Amino acid sequence: MSTNPNPATPTNSDETIVKKKLGVGFWLCVAWLGLMAFIALFTPLLPLKSPTQNFLDTANGRPPYSPSWKHWFGTDKDARDVFARTLHGARISLAVGFAAISAGFLVGGTVGLISGYFKGWIDRVSSFVFIVLLSFPSLVLAILLTSLIERSLLTISLVLGLLSIAPVGRLARAATLQFADREFVLAARQIGATNRRIIIKEILPNVAIPMSSLALLGMAVAVVAEGGLSFLGLSVEKGITWGGLIQLGSESSKTLEEAPWIAFFPILMLFLTVLSLNFAGDRVRNYFDVKETTL
Amino acid sequence: MRYYVQRVALAILLLLAVSMLTFGALNVLGDPLFNILGPVAGDVNNPESVEMINAAKREFNLDRSLPVRYGLWVSDFVQGDFGVTFSSTGQPPVSGVISERLPRTISLVVLAQLFAIIVSIPWALITASRAGKVSDRISTVNAFFLVAMPNFAIAVILKFVFSIKLGWMPLTYTADDPLSSRLFQMILPALTIGLPVAAVYQRLLRTDLITTLQQDFILLARTKGLSKWRILFVHALRPSLFSFITVVGLNTGALIGGSIVSETVFRIPGIGSTLVESVLRNDFPVVLAIVMIVASSFVIINLLVDFAYTLIDPRVRR
Repeated sequence: MSTNPNPATPTNSDETIVKKKLGVGFWLCVAWLGLMAFIALFTPLLPLKSPTQNFLDTANGRPPYSPSWKHWFGTDKDARDVFARTLHGARISLAVGFAAISAGFLVGGTVGLISGYFKGWIDRVSSFVFIVLLSFPSLVLAILLTSLIERSLLTISLVLGLLSIAPVGRLARAATLQFADREFVLAARQIGATNRRIIIKEILPNVAIPMSSLALLGMAVAVVAEGGLSFLGLSVEKGITWGGLIQLGSESSKTLEEAPWIAFFPILMLFLTVLSLNFAGDRVRNYFDVKETTL
Repeated sequence: MRYYVQRVALAILLLLAVSMLTFGALNVLGDPLFNILGPVAGDVNNPESVEMINAAKREFNLDRSLPVRYGLWVSDFVQGDFGVTFSSTGQPPVSGVISERLPRTISLVVLAQLFAIIVSIPWALITASRAGKVSDRISTVNAFFLVAMPNFAIAVILKFVFSIKLGWMPLTYTADDPLSSRLFQMILPALTIGLPVAAVYQRLLRTDLITTLQQDFILLARTKGLSKWRILFVHALRPSLFSFITVVGLNTGALIGGSIVSETVFRIPGIGSTLVESVLRNDFPVVLAIVMIVASSFVIINLLVDFAYTLIDPRVRR
């Protein structure tokens, strides 16, 4: 899916068509992401059950209750509505993912642009910092940092943002290097444009295209990383997260056996969201025909 | 030769930077005294606690400046002395915890890596030889699904299906069991880490194989009438392995990240689950030692991969 598998078989014509169009799958993914964003933004306004209330129903025996018309995704051991909790979980997961990749782009993108444009010692220093950041397996660095701070929405976003600086920065630098000595840049310099103007008006629009797919792929990585941290109990301390819900539902084998819905509905939501981000990012990359990049 | 010297120098610089960052983070952002003594550290009015504070400061060199402490810690660290755990007795020493648990993590990571390689090579060969056909498309969709599944979710699903519903696999790991049953207990944890990695390897190798299969020497082999499998295994595979080998090496970081999750879910007392536990207990010497070991091995593996790459493809040396 990521690359044209076999250019030698021209009969396989829909491969080439797919390359030009974004495709139905892309728009399905966008629709799902739009739905998730809508839910995350307007959770308090939606007609949902309270995510913290206990819906004890003594006629039905002891909770957890299995999915029913009353509780679409069932309830957990404390008789809390899993559907409401899962939708509430979208808030933190998506907010952290979005904030993290934004922070990564803001810092990493700026540093990458500057070091790719000016080269020289700035480039050498920033490249070394990127390599140092990449010397930690990302989850290990995230755990190290989250262990030292108060775990709030802001700090977790910043930590995951820090992790995305190096991959984003390296790609931005590489893309900038391709354009830094091109004719239109030289022409702009000749007519006396300042460096700042050249970077913003001439280079940034060209670099932004390959970076756009990285934004989607990077957000997928950040959402997964946040899920991993909250699964390990190291993400945002207050509030509901998908990772936390999955952890709660799978902590003891007994819960997982008797009430698999507690863990599996959040897993499904997380999976569909990450899949949509990955797929949409992959489509965008093919659409703009950007070379394979790793994050 | 110059290339090797440069790479080793860079690796040493990286290790220094990584250790300074880790040590600095724990000592500047964290409060080491509090971590050693707990609430007593803040109790400066009680003479008894003041005495304890001073004793701890002397014992842990906290009365020295930060660079001196860093120097002392590094020299201890390279000699294998990782300090004491924060417990009332300081027992067992951190190096004891590590030497007991590191082998489990290493075997888990190696198993996962082996599984991913063994699965991904035939998978890539089959799909590359039928590129664009229905089976290849189905496999691509599957690979996409696997990559999109976070490893903690895979762990939960595997545990649910194979341990709970089917009852084929044990739920947890028991450190005292004989080797054979411990290996058996490691299958699900290794699958947790290895499955998404196998999908990544397959996608990469498949792309490279397709490129190779269009070369003239493959056409020649085909006209000679060699069998399809002989062409795939003997002629096409080897020249397609370059980027595969690099990514297999560089993927160690992702494997270690995966082992943290997998060890936690399947209760394997390796260094990954120990890292999480120590973070939750604020046991900083253990955290420091584990992060340093993991980051150092990551740097060293990357260095070795680079060297291996020069052996395969001398052009890299320039």
